[in-house]
Amino acid sequence: MADPSQTVSALRALISARFPERRRQPWGCVAAAVGPVDEALGGGLPAGRLTELVSAVPSGGGQTVIAGLLGATQAARQRMALVDGADGFDPGAVPAGMLRHLVWVRCSGPEQALAAADILVRDGNYAALVVDLRGCAERVLRRTPPSVWYRLQRAAEGAPAAVLVQTTLALVPAVPCRLVLHAPLSLGDAGLPREDVAARLAVRTERGLGGASGEMAG
Amino acid sequence: MRYAVLAVPDFALHALRRGDPSLGGRAVALVAGDGSRARVTEASPEAHGVLRGLAATLAMSRCPGIVLRTRDPEAETESHRLLVAAAFTLSPRVESTRAGCCTVDLRGAEPARTQALMRLRAAELAAAGLPARIGAGDTPLLASYAARCAEPVLVVADAAAFLAPLPVDFAEPTPAQGEILRGWGIATLGALTALPKAEVGRRLGADGVLLWERAAGQATRVLRHVEPARSFAAQWAYEPPVESIEPLFFKLRRYAERVALELRGAALVAERLSLTLLLEDGGDHRREFRLPEPCADVDGWLRVLGDHLATVRTDARVAGVRLVAAPARPPQKQEGLFDTGLRDPASFWENLARVAAVVGDGRVGTPLPADTHRPDAFTLERPAETVAPCGAAPVHPPCGPTLRRFRPPWPVRVACEAGSPASLEGGRLGGRVLAAAGPWRSSGGWWGPEAWEVETWQVELAAGGVYQLARSGDTWCVEGMLD
Repeated sequence: MADPSQTVSALRALISARFPERRRQPWGCVAAAVGPVDEALGGGLPAGRLTELVSAVPSGGGQTVIAGLLGATQAARQRMALVDGADGFDPGAVPAGMLRHLVWVRCSGPEQALAAADILVRDGNYAALVVDLRGCAERVLRRTPPSVWYRLQRAAEGAPAAVLVQTTLALVPAVPCRLVLHAPLSLGDAGLPREDVAARLAVRTERGLGGASGEMAG
Repeated sequence: MRYAVLAVPDFALHALRRGDPSLGGRAVALVAGDGSRARVTEASPEAHGVLRGLAATLAMSRCPGIVLRTRDPEAETESHRLLVAAAFTLSPRVESTRAGCCTVDLRGAEPARTQALMRLRAAELAAAGLPARIGAGDTPLLASYAARCAEPVLVVADAAAFLAPLPVDFAEPTPAQGEILRGWGIATLGALTALPKAEVGRRLGADGVLLWERAAGQATRVLRHVEPARSFAAQWAYEPPVESIEPLFFKLRRYAERVALELRGAALVAERLSLTLLLEDGGDHRREFRLPEPCADVDGWLRVLGDHLATVRTDARVAGVRLVAAPARPPQKQEGLFDTGLRDPASFWENLARVAAVVGDGRVGTPLPADTHRPDAFTLERPAETVAPCGAAPVHPPCGPTLRRFRPPWPVRVACEAGSPASLEGGRLGGRVLAAAGPWRSSGGWWGPEAWEVETWQVELAAGGVYQLARSGDTWCVEGMLD
């Protein structure tokens, strides 16, 4: 009986030979302008792939990552979509000039968020797509079938957008990159410039592009 | 090429089939008459051996499994409206000649563009289940002959050469005239028109002259123009009522095709769609969709409507549907030379409409802070086509972690010591306060009925996490987390 891994390899080779246009395009990456996150990912969020950012503690800095990504994509004159599962984004928390390229989808639950993400991930007009599922009921999130995530990953592979999924617990099966924000910010950080706050985020790589795990702390 | 005729052979049968998905690919025949006198009037190509005029019982024996139906006037009306709508995309002067046939006055139209349009319309009508044939010629009669011979479009440039081989029956001689012509050995229009018109008149009378003119395609008439559609709506019923999306969607597409063609005929597009599901219990479910990119593209509409319908659960079966399109002029725009535009504008706007169908209108867009200091005041605008370059750096650069709001805010009880929060107690958040900063007081709208006043604090809890509290009067709430 053939070795299953060899069978899978042969199948992959056959598919890539028959459908060469379906090979993942080297789109590059989208810098988040958040030092520890960009370092952990080797330069930024990989385009055409899913990255999961787990906020394991309250005030871990997930929203600061979104603000950084907004600034970076605006500077590069790219378009960004934010699928906001619990409708938590505050437009007043970032300068108005950093919002003009943003498409904000205000959802009222994870089902809506995943349905909207499934549509937007196939749209070739976005450089970054953030799916923020923090604040959604964990009970509902845990019930999400793995097929939904696989479908999202497969769709992301054919698109130029970098897809960032924000959660409070590791949810996405077989995600290529998973980072964990593991230390909370403090009230003392409130007086610091936003860039300094971003540089202080404590990021742990749970699953990286190279398969290595490590810790980045500002 | 001055006139065109759009005609659908076996119109009643096609009208019936395009409204009933169960008839697709099956042998179907239309019958008229009761009981043993029922005769086949039209039969589908799948009904082998079934000819017009055959008794219904004989048709069933010749073609086992054949579906026998009577005509459906409602389906015929709808299909004819589709044909008329298609005709109006060729010219504004259209005659509704009879069921399944329209005559269009093309005088003044640019021939090459009109021919291309006719081919496009024929393909679209065929895709919509109405295989129309389109003929064009210098007279309405010549155009109708051309439509009978078209596959699916035929433009007659040389009338004599076109008419010559056609059977004389095209000119519709009376039985008596047909008998005489057979006696003369005349079988084609070319043979008849080769005879001198005056001699034919001398032998067959005034009717003979008219017959000769019909054979030459010269008979002309004044078209009775119809008015184009003024409202762009469709309503239909389901008998029996439906409870799944597939049959609902089938008819929705059929009617949407007609509404979209009517819009295009008037050089308009839809900016909003209103869909009402009429329920069996007398209730209804209504939803309005604002299309971010106004269009008359049925596939685009249906993707938006389909995304919404997939999320709808009704208490009763759907007995009918009403679809209304709000017309608008097609958008026109010119991009700047150095603008960073959309890679694929059509999919961008279509996907936004689909997302809006999932999350609701007014829940998708680009946020724009409102001109007020009131917390959480903003509007959602239509996203810009282009991404503008960065403006000047803000006068007050943002500081500290970014606020993530809880909508609606979480109510909380706050115990204060020395004027600042010391502990929180609430259903979703509580604990000892490690450090607090504030208050920041703001107010506004004092000149109007919506006066507001709020006191904001930032607190760090001993259990971890920095939160923003707001006090309005004696009421406290957690506005969000500094994250």
